[in-house]
Amino acid sequence: MITERPAIEPIQTDFRLKFATDEQLDMLQEATLRILEEVGVKFPSEKTLRIFSEHGAHVDKDTQIVKIPRQLVMKALSTVPRYFKLGARDPACDLQLQENVTYFCSDGCGVETIDFETRQRRPSCKEDVGKMAHIADYLSAMSFSWPMVSAQDYGTTAPLHEMDASWNNTVKHVQSETIMGEKPCQYAVEMAKVLTGSAEELRRRPVFSLTVCTIAPLVQDKEGIEGALVLAEAGVPVGFLAMPTLGTTAPATLPGAYVVGDAEIISAIVLMQLAHPGAPVFHSMMHAWADPRSGNYISYSQNSGGRYIVVDMAHHWNIPSFGGAYGTDSPVAGNWQSAAEVALDPFLIGLAGAEFVTGMGLSNTYTLLYPESIILDADIYHRARYQLMRQDISPETLALEVIAAVGPGGHFLAQKHTRQHMRASLKPAINHEVGPDGKYRDPVEAARDKVAWIIKNYQPEPLEEAKRKELIRILSAADRELGGGRK
Amino acid sequence: MSQELFESMAQSIIDGDSDVAVELANKAIAAGVDPLAAITDGFVRGVNQVGESFARGEAFLPELVMAGEAMKAAVATLEPEMQKRGTQRQMLGKVVLATVEGDIHEIGKTLVGTMLSASGFEVSDMGVDVSAAKILAKVKEVGADLVGLSALLTTTMVKQKEVIDVLDKEGLRRKVKVMVGGAPVTREWVQKIEADGYSEDAIGAVAVAKQLVGAA
Repeated sequence: MITERPAIEPIQTDFRLKFATDEQLDMLQEATLRILEEVGVKFPSEKTLRIFSEHGAHVDKDTQIVKIPRQLVMKALSTVPRYFKLGARDPACDLQLQENVTYFCSDGCGVETIDFETRQRRPSCKEDVGKMAHIADYLSAMSFSWPMVSAQDYGTTAPLHEMDASWNNTVKHVQSETIMGEKPCQYAVEMAKVLTGSAEELRRRPVFSLTVCTIAPLVQDKEGIEGALVLAEAGVPVGFLAMPTLGTTAPATLPGAYVVGDAEIISAIVLMQLAHPGAPVFHSMMHAWADPRSGNYISYSQNSGGRYIVVDMAHHWNIPSFGGAYGTDSPVAGNWQSAAEVALDPFLIGLAGAEFVTGMGLSNTYTLLYPESIILDADIYHRARYQLMRQDISPETLALEVIAAVGPGGHFLAQKHTRQHMRASLKPAINHEVGPDGKYRDPVEAARDKVAWIIKNYQPEPLEEAKRKELIRILSAADRELGGGRK
Repeated sequence: MSQELFESMAQSIIDGDSDVAVELANKAIAAGVDPLAAITDGFVRGVNQVGESFARGEAFLPELVMAGEAMKAAVATLEPEMQKRGTQRQMLGKVVLATVEGDIHEIGKTLVGTMLSASGFEVSDMGVDVSAAKILAKVKEVGADLVGLSALLTTTMVKQKEVIDVLDKEGLRRKVKVMVGGAPVTREWVQKIEADGYSEDAIGAVAVAKQLVGAA
């Protein structure tokens, strides 16, 4: 068993690509402001309506629609921290959001698993969550971890059990995308305090964060938004992920979908800032299409550039962007579709400059886990990471003396310079593994073997026994109160 | 002292350091060490180790080539002493190597030459774009046991067959084995032109050559 964890390798680049001009971003922002002022967003929560009302928003108690004047929007957004820290069990894995650095994590939250041993398709369980966190802990591509699948064997408290399984298997930051409601969020904060030791330390180095999905068009989820307020109060970063679907829950035009999603996100962020000014928040959007022939959900088409333009939109508001990458529609891992759909994502989201990004490893539109997919997606990630690095062009790398020494028609293999640089000059991909027959291995098989190798040979740093027991105690209390637990 | 010297010799090959290899060869001569023993018990062990580590995917091409170059330099240093003593290194066989006519791709053939030479074959590397007639003349001149023919293009690989035909015509085909290589060469092609051996890489070529001369 090895315990040494490869260092986190985020995308670091000063290359930058804007997917919209400032004028276009102004138009998008103006449209969002008009939606917020004139159409409004539905907040089906007495508590949130009260907060909006107290701060001067126009609240219709019957329809639960809140219309927010632009001055109030801008005032609320002025307290959003541009950068903040994501803490981790191991402080060495803390992530400081910053310019020119993009941190990636695994995908979530799938509902089915291709069992790694039997290869049978089955409902996901808590053990899967732990196993994938274990793998994510080892992978340098994974700066932090999302519970990849639902702990369906734990019923209503599954989201808390997903956190438990994650914290027991990775020292990296964990972000939930499933904890909903005030009570579950309070339990999550209690659990996190076990890890950090105090509420103050949790605020300083939040060991978890939460992504809350909004409901398109222009509705907030009661449980989601009320839970988010609990976390914002505790200083735990909370972000809002809009998933407008063109043609059904959003206009059939991309900009129309962007502004519907943006209004959902901004209205939620305004609420957080009104209630808890300075709370760390983030902006996230993954649009999709309804197949016009069937209504089927399509997250990747040939014009999937909306995944990148939304990063510019977040930054235009001066809010950190949580980019949406990966999550192929392919029901099968390791085929052409699964690579082609996602291959540009880490590269272009890195160029767009998202501060952090989800998420590697799921198929069938974020629903199905093939454990080996995380290795294949991480391979694509590293390709982007290397391509976004500035190259070293210097006398040593220009090698003019060596070129002169070899001259026309010779070869460079016998040069000390070649020996010195050749090993590092090729960054081998998963398809460069050589099998016993001397031939390059099938990358999907190599990925499966890597999963097996990590599980067998790598031991993530275990959670201290006292903390592990305390988490179990809190979970038991949550199970009792909320009616969850092992089914 | 010898054991320590032999180990340093092997290490100089593993390090691909021709200067150190030559220095150690001279040291061996000065100390009266049998030059054959220096090769067999010293330098060759380094070559074998690099070859094995290359086969495991641990060593890279430049390490392989530099090991071969260091070996060549060491043997060249020891040769006058061997002549003086009236001894000579037991070679595994004589090989004529060439890239066939119309083809100027060299690197694969050169790698094979380096590895064969480092592994104990006497190699005559004729370079690139060599006609069948010239290859035949060289085979006769050196009394070759093996001919290695390289081709990188589908348009030039047919020349490999031409060399085999010429050797056949001269009645040399039984005595002289033919190995072929190059990116377009496949096992099926080898069978079709009735060559004797083929490998996809330089290390494999050494094993094939050894097999063909009965030294495997």
